[in-house]
Amino acid sequence: MVRLIATRLVAFTLTLFASSVVLFVTINVLPGSAAKSALGMEATPQAIARFEAQRGLDRPMVVQYGEWFLKTMRGDFGVSFQNSVPVGPELLSRIPVTLELATLAFLVANIIALPLGIAAASRHQKRLDKSLTLTATILGAVPNFWLATLLIMLFSLNLRWLPPGGFTPFTLDPVTNLKQMVMPALSLGLVSSALLIRIMRSSMIEVLSSDYIRTANAKGASERTVIRRHALRNSLIPYLNVAAVEFGFLFGSAVVIEDIFRLPGVGSLVLVGIINRDYPVLLAAALAITLFVLVVNLIVDLAVGLLDPRLVKGSRA
Amino acid sequence: MIAAFSRFDLHRWRLVMVGGAIIGAILICAIFAPAVAPYSPFDLDVASMLQGPSGAHPLGTDELGRDVLSRTIYAAQISMKVAFIAAGVGLVFGTLIGVVAAYFGGWVDLVLMRFMELLFSFPAILLAVVLMASLGTSIFNAMIAIGIVFIPGFSRLARAATEVVLREQYVEAARAVGMSHGRIIFREILPNILAPLLVEAAVAFSYAILLESALSFLGLGAQPPDPSWGNMLSTGRGFMSQAPWLSIVPGMAIFLSVLGFNFIGDGLRDVLDPHLRD
Repeated sequence: MVRLIATRLVAFTLTLFASSVVLFVTINVLPGSAAKSALGMEATPQAIARFEAQRGLDRPMVVQYGEWFLKTMRGDFGVSFQNSVPVGPELLSRIPVTLELATLAFLVANIIALPLGIAAASRHQKRLDKSLTLTATILGAVPNFWLATLLIMLFSLNLRWLPPGGFTPFTLDPVTNLKQMVMPALSLGLVSSALLIRIMRSSMIEVLSSDYIRTANAKGASERTVIRRHALRNSLIPYLNVAAVEFGFLFGSAVVIEDIFRLPGVGSLVLVGIINRDYPVLLAAALAITLFVLVVNLIVDLAVGLLDPRLVKGSRA
Repeated sequence: MIAAFSRFDLHRWRLVMVGGAIIGAILICAIFAPAVAPYSPFDLDVASMLQGPSGAHPLGTDELGRDVLSRTIYAAQISMKVAFIAAGVGLVFGTLIGVVAAYFGGWVDLVLMRFMELLFSFPAILLAVVLMASLGTSIFNAMIAIGIVFIPGFSRLARAATEVVLREQYVEAARAVGMSHGRIIFREILPNILAPLLVEAAVAFSYAILLESALSFLGLGAQPPDPSWGNMLSTGRGFMSQAPWLSIVPGMAIFLSVLGFNFIGDGLRDVLDPHLRD
């Protein structure tokens, strides 16, 4: 187990480092001039040169990356080109918003997917299975930003049950916070549940057709007992792997959903960075989302190792 | 795979046919837009702005009096173009990378697939948004950005399929008779790994439409006045209470085209590899 954790930690660190290189290189070849965006289109060439020299943008990219990397390791994400405000505190204040959104959406997706996926598998090729599979296919085709718009039209504009946007921290006013997060979480979670229903279904069908389940059935165990005691744990392993990828997808989708619901999260910070050509802001926000995804994948890797002892044995071999 | 195509069974092919009918209808609208659309997508008519559905404008008009049906039909051109080119970029480059990695193995495999895994670790929409920011906002760049997002998925699939094919005797025979690497890859390997790649391509089409719409929705894809379902939906958000059709119509178009490609993908998977169905 120790070896599994060590291997996964090394892979995590290397991937994070490589991701930072990819993001830095991609973002630093942005075609729009950061100087023009910050100083205005009328800026003189001298002013632009001064701006770039002050921020080190005229140096080779390797040098820029090295300096940025060392600073980032110390928790210093630089200052915004737009307003010279440090990016770190801004990013930190936004992380809880995106974390809450992604977590709630993930909860919604799993609350829907687990029972429906199991129900479909236990009625394999029957009417319930076919209708649930079709529902999942239809749900999976709905763009989450369209669903968000439809939810706003229904629950905010017509029924006036929920606010169309905005954010109040949970610690300040839990009820308002949850009211504001219902629609964003549903928009992301409902669409994500489509894939998870299908994964849970196919994973459970595979497990239910294995010999040890047939033995349990032959011994007279009830369907509920067979699923709960014998099939669920094994069918969760492939499900967890896909769910982890889906959780990462939720962090990524925050870029769109936070924009729609005016949530001040990391996703909307990505857009702020792009619109203003504010490299430090864009880089910090994109790296934060990537870090979330990698951490989730790491946790799931370890959880799968715990759920399936064969993998731990395999890693020792 | 050929056997799957030769035994035409209506029941097995019904999903592909339903999906094909949806996509066929959208493609016809896109290709023959000038003939199908009742108006030009750019015709302004301030006197009839934000009008609800009527005989003259079956899906209403937008904030500048433009016909929503016509704009939705023309927007299909952009979405279909992006879907085919982006999925094509992903398919061609991803397949080549995957096949080369599996065929040559060793450090070539290690370097290529580690880089693919790295790209795979980014959420697709984040990677597309960052690439768009880097390449600049235009529909051409959206195709490239979305295509790059697809490369890792295709490469993984192609690599796995190639590894299976490499164990086949006809590949060993091709090597034994001294066939060049290029000929083995293009003549012996590629035709035999097409089945899973076709299914993945259908999924990629639907995902490309979603990604392009999301990028245009955020203002990073097609730029107004060019109509795209994403930017139409984005504009419609400003008029949700007065003109809900501005949000409903383009969203429905995205939904139907994604559903169509998903049906084709699911149907092809069922036909080509019935084991995958469960």
